[in-house]
Amino acid sequence: MSEPAILIENLTKRYGSGPTAVDALKGVDMRIERGEVVGLIGPSGSGKTTLLKCLGAVIEPTSGRFTLAGEVIYDNAWKRKDLRALRRDRIGFVFQAPYLIPFLDATDNVALLPMLAGVANPVARAMALELLTALDVQHRARARIPELSGGEQQRVAIARALVNRPPIVLADEPTAPLDSERALSVVKILDRLAREYQTAIIVVTHDEKIIPTFKRIYYIRDGKTYEERGEGRAL
Amino acid sequence: MINLARRDIANHLGRYILTGFGLGLLIGVTLTMAGVYRGMVDDAKVLLGAVGADIWVVQQHTLGPFAEPSSLQDDVARSLEGLPGVARTGNVAYLTMQVTHAGKDQRVMIAGYTPGRLGGPAFLIDGRPISRAHYEAVADVRTGFEVGDRLRLRRTDYTVVGLTKRMVSSGGDPMVFLSLKDAQETQFRKDNEAIINDRERLAANPSVNKPGQPGLLPVVEELQTESHRVNAVLVRVETGQDPRRIADTIKRWKHLTAYTNKEMEDILIAKLIATAARQIALFLIILAVVSAAIVAFIIYTMTLGKLKELAVLKLIGTRDRTIAAMILQEALGLGFIGFFVGKFAATLWAPVFPKHVLLLTDDALRAFGITLAICALASVLAIRAALRIDPAEAIGG
Repeated sequence: MSEPAILIENLTKRYGSGPTAVDALKGVDMRIERGEVVGLIGPSGSGKTTLLKCLGAVIEPTSGRFTLAGEVIYDNAWKRKDLRALRRDRIGFVFQAPYLIPFLDATDNVALLPMLAGVANPVARAMALELLTALDVQHRARARIPELSGGEQQRVAIARALVNRPPIVLADEPTAPLDSERALSVVKILDRLAREYQTAIIVVTHDEKIIPTFKRIYYIRDGKTYEERGEGRAL
Repeated sequence: MINLARRDIANHLGRYILTGFGLGLLIGVTLTMAGVYRGMVDDAKVLLGAVGADIWVVQQHTLGPFAEPSSLQDDVARSLEGLPGVARTGNVAYLTMQVTHAGKDQRVMIAGYTPGRLGGPAFLIDGRPISRAHYEAVADVRTGFEVGDRLRLRRTDYTVVGLTKRMVSSGGDPMVFLSLKDAQETQFRKDNEAIINDRERLAANPSVNKPGQPGLLPVVEELQTESHRVNAVLVRVETGQDPRRIADTIKRWKHLTAYTNKEMEDILIAKLIATAARQIALFLIILAVVSAAIVAFIIYTMTLGKLKELAVLKLIGTRDRTIAAMILQEALGLGFIGFFVGKFAATLWAPVFPKHVLLLTDDALRAFGITLAICALASVLAIRAALRIDPAEAIGG
């Protein structure tokens, strides 16, 4: 078996200390293969966001081990000094709201990431255009963000998350503001791109419309994860 | 790499330019204030430059004739001409008066000089110089007089025979040149009632109207109305002579005070306009602080308006220095627009001011540098706020 995109072993996160300390994660284990889309489901306060922040290298776990595409990122301490570069090059983010940069057009929103990594502007723009084409929004490539519809903005956001070909993409409620048809279309896109780019995608969701589409689901409750086989309904 | 600042500015260009325009008007006021100060200094120096004296001789222990009253006998000039190294001299009398022209009152400085000697206008733009001993005047063009106009001073009418330009007092009042005799008479001339009153008072004074001494009263009257005093004697030294050395000689042997032209310039600037200069300097500091506060507030507000975007930028790996550079460039851009709007505005409205507003290129360059420095400083607050944003804020929860 090839090395997984993400391997998490006994990851914990404690906020505060002493009697007021809160254990948000109490030993999370996950293994997600490249090209796989898994759901992460749990009620409010279950630790979903904390787990996402730990996986996104924006908050430090308290203990455990986090391996990303074979590289140990965290083993009771950050193994990398430059977490900013880690986020830029190896982790993609998709949010509930697209959070695109309003003063850049669609292409530059996507191209910004490779540019930040030092890729020359024309090359970065070509990479962006390729993804926008894959997501069928190439005709809106030069449009300013406010001129795009909600669905188009979300597709641009997905393109941005994938442009650096990261081993993982963290998608936080990406379909929440969309109707059923568009929500399913977004999941379909994520599923296709995950396979195409060999990226593992974790979709945090409460959306009943899309839950049946996952082949594997991690439920999180009281800071612990439970893996279940999903319906994997055809898209 | 994309220039984030340029894109952000382009995204709300109208608001950005309007903000820069508002700041520009404030900078325009600042530049004008600096111009007012420069104008005051220039006005203070213009007369000194125009009369072309190397030494100003005034009453002993005074800073006259502009900063303090100074009174000398007009024959002092003749004794100074005998000193080795002195080329020319000229008696001058200065007094400030209100004159009426075309129904409007205005303040002018009367300068009395002996035609053909030092102390007259540097050049004429129309008419001719004063050639008669009495009743002729040369006026600065700012008085509004034209050649041939009549000018009334006290009870006497003068004919304007010539016009000059940029001849103003240290206070910026336009000058009117008369012959020395006319200026002396104007200075001491009384109205008819006052003359009659003074004569009666003298006649009633037993110490000057003694029985048996009929000649005393007319002599006293004559002494009281005589006007052979001047405010200063101007001296020009021979080529190659040191004005400082000759001024020292005058001080030592003539019991007078003598200033070189440079010393007189220092007196005018340091004594006459020092308070006004401090006032303007304080005003300039306040304006600079207000401008900085406005830029800081604008940039800070602009930054707070895109906190989520900045958090996303940080989350996706944008370096702190890229974000700081974006905010700094936006602040500098405001300063850039503000400066050029301000410079344009100041140039536009400076001629409307009643006093000379001198806008110097050096001052403008200095102001440009200070504006950019203030904008850079003002952006620090916004940069700090932006750098404090936690990238985790981009992720919900």
